[in-house]
Amino acid sequence: MLRVENLTKVYPNGTVALKDVSFQVADGEFLAVIGLSGSGKSTLLRCINRLIEPTAGKIFWNDIEITAAPVSDLRKIRRQIGMIFQQFNLVKRSSVLTNVLSGRLGYVNPYTSLLNYFPAEEHQRAMNNLEQLGLADKAHVRADSLSGGQQQRVGIARALMQDPKLILADEPVASLDPVLAHSILKYLEQLNKERGITVLCSLHFLDLVHRYATHAIALKDGQLVFQGLPEKIDDAQFKAIYGQDAERVSIV
Amino acid sequence: MSDRAALSTSEVSRNSLLPVLLSLIIPGAGQFYLKQRNRGLAIFAVFLIQFLLTSWAFDNYQVGLLVISAFETNWLWIFLVVFWVWNVNDAHRLAQNKRVTNLFAMVIVALVVYIIAWQVTDVQLVRLVTRFGNALKIGNDLIHPDLFTQDASGNWVPSENFGYIFGTIEQQPPPELFVRLGLVSPTTMLPTYQAGKIVETIALGFLATVFSTIIALPLSFFAAHNVMVRVPFGNTIYYVTRIFFNVVRSVDTLIWGLIVILWVGLGPFAGVIALTIHSVAALGKLYSEEIEHIDPGPVEAITATGATFLQTIRYAVFPQIVPPFVGYTLLRWDINMRSATIVGFVAGGGIGYFVVETLRKSAYNQYAAALWAIAVVIMVVDFVSAKWRERISTGETQVQTGPRRPFYLSLRFWFYLLVGIAVFAYFWSLSEISLKAMLSPAPTLGQVAFGFINLNLDPPVVSDVVNQMLVTIFQALLATTLGSLVAVPFSFLAAHNLTGRSRLSAWLYYATRGLFNFLRSIEALLYVAIFFYWVSFGSFAGMLALAVTTFGLIGKLFSEAIENIDPGPHEAIIATGATRLQAIVFGVLPQIIPPFISYAIYQWDINVRLATIVGFAGGGGIGNLLLNDYFAFSKYRSAGTAVALIVLVVIPMDFASARIRRRLV
Repeated sequence: MLRVENLTKVYPNGTVALKDVSFQVADGEFLAVIGLSGSGKSTLLRCINRLIEPTAGKIFWNDIEITAAPVSDLRKIRRQIGMIFQQFNLVKRSSVLTNVLSGRLGYVNPYTSLLNYFPAEEHQRAMNNLEQLGLADKAHVRADSLSGGQQQRVGIARALMQDPKLILADEPVASLDPVLAHSILKYLEQLNKERGITVLCSLHFLDLVHRYATHAIALKDGQLVFQGLPEKIDDAQFKAIYGQDAERVSIV
Repeated sequence: MSDRAALSTSEVSRNSLLPVLLSLIIPGAGQFYLKQRNRGLAIFAVFLIQFLLTSWAFDNYQVGLLVISAFETNWLWIFLVVFWVWNVNDAHRLAQNKRVTNLFAMVIVALVVYIIAWQVTDVQLVRLVTRFGNALKIGNDLIHPDLFTQDASGNWVPSENFGYIFGTIEQQPPPELFVRLGLVSPTTMLPTYQAGKIVETIALGFLATVFSTIIALPLSFFAAHNVMVRVPFGNTIYYVTRIFFNVVRSVDTLIWGLIVILWVGLGPFAGVIALTIHSVAALGKLYSEEIEHIDPGPVEAITATGATFLQTIRYAVFPQIVPPFVGYTLLRWDINMRSATIVGFVAGGGIGYFVVETLRKSAYNQYAAALWAIAVVIMVVDFVSAKWRERISTGETQVQTGPRRPFYLSLRFWFYLLVGIAVFAYFWSLSEISLKAMLSPAPTLGQVAFGFINLNLDPPVVSDVVNQMLVTIFQALLATTLGSLVAVPFSFLAAHNLTGRSRLSAWLYYATRGLFNFLRSIEALLYVAIFFYWVSFGSFAGMLALAVTTFGLIGKLFSEAIENIDPGPHEAIIATGATRLQAIVFGVLPQIIPPFISYAIYQWDINVRLATIVGFAGGGGIGNLLLNDYFAFSKYRSAGTAVALIVLVVIPMDFASARIRRRLV
């Protein structure tokens, strides 16, 4: 259970990115976070693993207060929360395998790992994950030689190395074409259904939300404007979230 | 089971026996035979170089001398044997299709090179300690520059030395023009500003930039391939101009200075000419590359409108080349100002000449005053040039609304034009430019020209020149390594994106940036004197001086490379629960190591050029040979040999480093 209470984030330049946001996510949910660009979706996801420090409010995860965790505990919390990024955030010059292995850094010895040493079982785990995502043959090539969809699969493999109980996906398909978008989201759905991993995923297209999410929340100007089942987002709700002039576009 | 094992081993040995034998006889031959042609050739070349270097260093500097009773040998041969063994094993592994790596061989070769470089450059770390008293003495002078003194009544006033550097106000007879106009009587004395050496330096840098721009502009079109293909005999002209630019560019301004003083005599004018010669070639190359890289699209489009040839040049070519040309000229102005601070070491004129005088008198606090003046001027020039270039590249100069008034109607234009003319005229008079001197060269100039064509290829001369050139290269290598290694930790402090936001880190950021900018504003040649005094004359002092400038130059480049990294991977790795150190190793290092290596190679290339002249101030290497052994005794044929070798080394290094860098980035 992830519980967010009265979360507020004000950036040093005065921008209010989140304003008093509260919601809950039960274990095993696939929660879609929707809203316009700049509505605070990325900030929200980054507050959950504290890549961004919230200004006020609390975040509880299974009775651990993430927002109050000291740095040493924070790393133990982070390693259980996988994260996937819009721009994939791979180290382009490193090999695919090294990128995937780097997902395990929170578990392995912090010193020997600095010499790029990972135990054999971690190599095995990395290869298994790559195989599952259909990239086993790419393990030794440079990450930037892969296509966008492949790079995002490497990003997922990296997250899987953490044995995550929760995955935060920040616009994971916004840089991909529709066909690839579906394939990536199907992987996330599979992880959600088969392994019971809770997924928080920010998305742009309502069709994708209807198709994959079990719950949805919507942000507008940093405030929570909707919370409920995806199919409850009707035209009126849609206009409230995206503004009066918005029109629904669909994605194949 | 055992049968199969036996079968496979015999199969393997049958496969790898021949290549192993081949590599045992000639290193790399096995690899060559196995169709790894480039690998084979590279191994053979490295083996040969290692062999030649080891025996050269032993013969000339007794590097690796090992005396076992009456028997003398060289323990560096062990490394050659190890390399040989590695090569055989490499052939074996290749034949068996196993993975091969170069790491071990690279470590071996690097060890040999650094051991030789260390000894040949005469590195004596112990002197840094035993003669530390000297360092303290000169350090004390450096922080107490001779700029102000107390007069009889105890007030602080500018010292005499201050006047030499920045100029003085003196009572002088009025200019003749004023007298003729009847404005003043010839007997009255007027307070007149007498320019100091730093002003003269600014004049040299400015005039050289103006002259070289004017000369390089038309020449650059001859070196642009896309222009020359449309002209009869264009290819020939293209290659001749290109070679001319590359050869002239590879000879340092100060070496040109040595030649120019035989032409127009010692003085600021010789400095202007030397700076201009080198600068024309450097600018010409950059301009011509810019012409080659213009987008042909607009040319096609304007031609399609029915425009004439000149109209096409004006509307399709000009707008594309003017901003980069101005940018390069500003960059060159910065470089020329730096060179102008040292051109006086040989040519006379500018603050370099003054520095030589102070060193001759061992007046280190006067020398220190000059260094501070140079640092301030060059830092300002660097800042202004960088800001202008930034404005040009971002197009900020074009901010305006509404139709533009013709430039000749704006008051500002006329004001700038007048100021420009006045400055130009003043600098012209300061630099003692004399066309008469240019037209009546001393007869020695002919001897020099003859000597540079009719090289002295006597074995002892060639051997001296080659030895000193190798010393120069090793000196540059050690300086690059030392300066870069020390710069790495500092560069992290000077990178905004990693230092964090605390007040301490902001303070560290500005302090480190300031240190980099200060140290790189002073040419290596000017640092030699400090190390000369500390560790005494020779290539060790030259190496340390080069290392200091390297630290400043590369520290800036490194910290900019760190600031340019993509923050995404670092964020992603922090999100996995990694430590800060792990995040740096996995998220930051892979992004910065390639640019770091690329900058270090670039710096080595620069340092070889600089190392050819550190000898002019007592820093050893080929500069020492050129100035003190050849030019001092009018041995122009030998000097020609030395310059020819510099060209032969610098041009290929320039090409190689450019290619390696392109591959890395």
